[in-house]
Amino acid sequence: MTFSRTDRRIEKGGRDMPRYLVERMFPDGLDIPVTEEGAAAVLGVVSRNTEQSVIWLHSYVSDDKRRTFCIYDGPNPEAIRRAAACNDLPIERIIKVSVLDPYFYQ
Amino acid sequence: MTDLLERDAFIAALDGLLADAGTGDGRLVLIGGDAGIGKTALIDAFCQSHASTTRVLAGACDALSTPRPLGPLLDISRQAGGELQRLLTTGANREPIFGALLNELGQHSQPIIVVIEDIHWADDATVDLIRFLARRLSGLRALVIATYRDVEIGPHHPFRLCLGDLATSRSVRRIVLPPLSEEAVRVLAGSSSLDPSALHRQTGGNPFFVAEILASGEPGMPATVRDAVLARIARLGSDARAALDVAAVLGFRSESWLLTDLLGSGAAALDACVVAGVLRPEPGGFAFRHELARDAVLDAISPVLRCALHRRALEALRLTADDPDALARLAHHADMAGDREAVLAYAPAAARRAVELQAHREAAAQYARALRWSREWEPAVRAPLLEGFAYHSYLTDRHTEAVDAWTQALAIWRRVGNPLKEGEILRLLSRPLWYLGRSSDAEASISASLSVLEPLPRGVELGWAWSDLSRLRMLAGESEAAVVWGKQAFLLGERLGDAGLQAHALNNVGCARLELGDEGGSDDLERGLAIALAANLDEHAGRSYANLVSMALISFQLARAEHWGEEGSAFTLDHDVETYRLCLMSQRPVQLFLQGRWSEAVDLASTLLSRADLSPLYRLLALTVLGRVRARRGDPEAAAALDAALALAGPTVDLSRRVPVFMARIEAAWLTGDHACAEAEINAACVIAGELNDPWLKGELAYWRWQVGSSAKPPSGIAKPYAQQLAGDWARSAASWESLGCPYEAALALADSGDEAALQRALAEFNQLGARPMAAAVTQRLRRLGALGIARGPRPTTRANPARLTAREMEVWDLLAEGLRNAEIANRLSVSTKTVDHHVSAVLAKLGVRTRTEAAHARALHAPSHRQSGELAHAT
Repeated sequence: MTFSRTDRRIEKGGRDMPRYLVERMFPDGLDIPVTEEGAAAVLGVVSRNTEQSVIWLHSYVSDDKRRTFCIYDGPNPEAIRRAAACNDLPIERIIKVSVLDPYFYQ
Repeated sequence: MTDLLERDAFIAALDGLLADAGTGDGRLVLIGGDAGIGKTALIDAFCQSHASTTRVLAGACDALSTPRPLGPLLDISRQAGGELQRLLTTGANREPIFGALLNELGQHSQPIIVVIEDIHWADDATVDLIRFLARRLSGLRALVIATYRDVEIGPHHPFRLCLGDLATSRSVRRIVLPPLSEEAVRVLAGSSSLDPSALHRQTGGNPFFVAEILASGEPGMPATVRDAVLARIARLGSDARAALDVAAVLGFRSESWLLTDLLGSGAAALDACVVAGVLRPEPGGFAFRHELARDAVLDAISPVLRCALHRRALEALRLTADDPDALARLAHHADMAGDREAVLAYAPAAARRAVELQAHREAAAQYARALRWSREWEPAVRAPLLEGFAYHSYLTDRHTEAVDAWTQALAIWRRVGNPLKEGEILRLLSRPLWYLGRSSDAEASISASLSVLEPLPRGVELGWAWSDLSRLRMLAGESEAAVVWGKQAFLLGERLGDAGLQAHALNNVGCARLELGDEGGSDDLERGLAIALAANLDEHAGRSYANLVSMALISFQLARAEHWGEEGSAFTLDHDVETYRLCLMSQRPVQLFLQGRWSEAVDLASTLLSRADLSPLYRLLALTVLGRVRARRGDPEAAAALDAALALAGPTVDLSRRVPVFMARIEAAWLTGDHACAEAEINAACVIAGELNDPWLKGELAYWRWQVGSSAKPPSGIAKPYAQQLAGDWARSAASWESLGCPYEAALALADSGDEAALQRALAEFNQLGARPMAAAVTQRLRRLGALGIARGPRPTTRANPARLTAREMEVWDLLAEGLRNAEIANRLSVSTKTVDHHVSAVLAKLGVRTRTEAAHARALHAPSHRQSGELAHAT
């Protein structure tokens, strides 16, 4: 079934979207077990992100698991916030970033 | 199950929507796809499978150069009969016609399917009809199916704008039909000698193209659909070919009587066309199997023959000239036949009919058609055509064309010597001139109008000239002059009993008085509204609501803005006053922003910005709010939004809209700690603000100067909360902001104190709002004071409000969950039942539920007392 939601995502495209680093704080620590339950939680986030045209690329988690740095592609900061709200995730700050590849400078 | 390949999932989706409709929860489904992709075939198969239980009413938009206004509804009315047909054939106005359709759809216990095909060709009135239906579907047992070719709907197509509107509606679904797979093409090719992969490649999986190639029986593969159609037709006899030519000239559909009339004994060949699969029989006539087939046939007719056929069609159709809805068709054939007399008779008549149905674009096109055939040396014929064209171009925002045509009409009336007309047109000209940014030309035009009209007996033309002059003065910031001219216009309107003139003039006077700080302006605006409502002048009422809201916002009367905004939105929605509905919607982000409802503010602002038809002025408002929220949250791209806003804040924009852009830029710079940049923006603001009257903007500007450390004495006449702040009375200032309902501004006042308790309150508020830069600044101040127990930002709880309902919608949801009926909710909240209806629909839509019971059930799940934890947190 091709309803409009997917079309809208394709229209906007993923390539030209800005990239954001989203810093999150989890005072009680974050632990997603490598189990089916954990996988389901993560995939749930991914699918709700899709509704806001937001793509979660990956995250870095601090050793104490209280802070995450998540890399996202999204149309604008508001979409990042809407996606976070849908997933009940906190946001400490959003920073617009671009990639610097050290090996590009040979 | 149907015979169609790869379409079962779509049929099943339609079945589901029909079932929804059957429960009284009507649906509109938009089916998009390329020409020949099988939209009609899908609908035919679907309707066929429900033929025994469900009534179908079908109509199509036509591909005439200027379509018949409400063409699809004319088709439908013939099937429905009754009041609807009576109204349409007697040339009634739009409102009763739409109402009759609603009655027709509402009176059956069985669901009804309404099909409107090819809305990419829709006239303005049909676009409005679809919008009208979409908004009234809940409670109707109707499934409305509309088809369109996506490639033909560009960003400025009138239906694109409508699509944007409908996208958020709970009742609307979209289906886009994909091409067939190679597998399906293989099945269709069957025993044909053609290579299925090559056939799939050549046709792109387009079912119509595949069928045409297979039917053409050519050994090679025709390169285009047209070639395939022509190859198929080439195998028919010359009689059949002649019959097809006539049918193609008449249109996609043609009536049997008309074909028989034109073809004589040749009509027998129509059967051969049906057998060959080019035409298909319909009740009362024939239709091409596809518009692509008609196109191919029409293009292959020689110009001479085509002209002759149009001439014969015109002669045959003249018999129907007393039918108001045959006029567009007659004008089309007259134009194509090159019959000047007939064009000049039918095109203006078709234009007048389009005006009755409010199809302004089509009206302008018919006037333009007549103008092309009129002669320079017949001014009496040309002048009214030019005026009609100019007026409807102006109404559809084509201001350059309007200026050009009115200028030509003006020259004619001057030559003929009709000063009343001359004065009226000079006045009208000032409007598009102003919209084009030519304000001095607009001024000159209205002055010329007055010097022509003032020596004449005082009529309504003079009153309107005064009122338009008043509006121009108001827009130029010359409020005193605006009041003087507006009052004069109002008194004349009162004497002549012209409600429209009175309402227009009172709007100007009210806004101008408020700009001068005279509270009596509110009474003028409310009186203007009452006059417009009493006289059923929907546009004037819409303008009053828009002005009431914008004037309330300028002076931070948020509750008042909310009240008029709610009432105005409900009114403009019910009366389909689109311009002012959009205007009211565009002001709402400003109100939400000031109330600290930032998420709602930016959501609405983003929705508005995605509309192609949003005027630069409203774009500016939305961008300013977006930029300010980003800056206050410490989010990236605040500068990008505010740069875009600045680019729109040119000198033609009035100061009350222009100055806030600079305020936003000052604030954004200040929040990032860049005081040099903030000072530069302050200087830029001072240059354009000049002799600013408004106490609120004056106050804000003084506040920022004070924040960056200016020692200049604050000016007099600034609004109270700013004055209190600048006098060092942060406590009173905070209280003033609180009573205005502006939480951020209140916290900002507290943040300037050296008092620990006040700073803690400010911090709590900033944390609550998600205002990171200010929260950080206040935390630092508290640390310097050596405060203990500084709160960290609370994690905003969103689960209690999963669907991002507005505060008002939350209230309505709560009351609904208590089992209250809409009228009771209305009583409880002191708003109209209609307003509650709108809120309830919004709540159901946002929650994605169908019924109140489901909504109430969902409320129990999300009760704040036992708030659900997030899934991710749950996994820990």
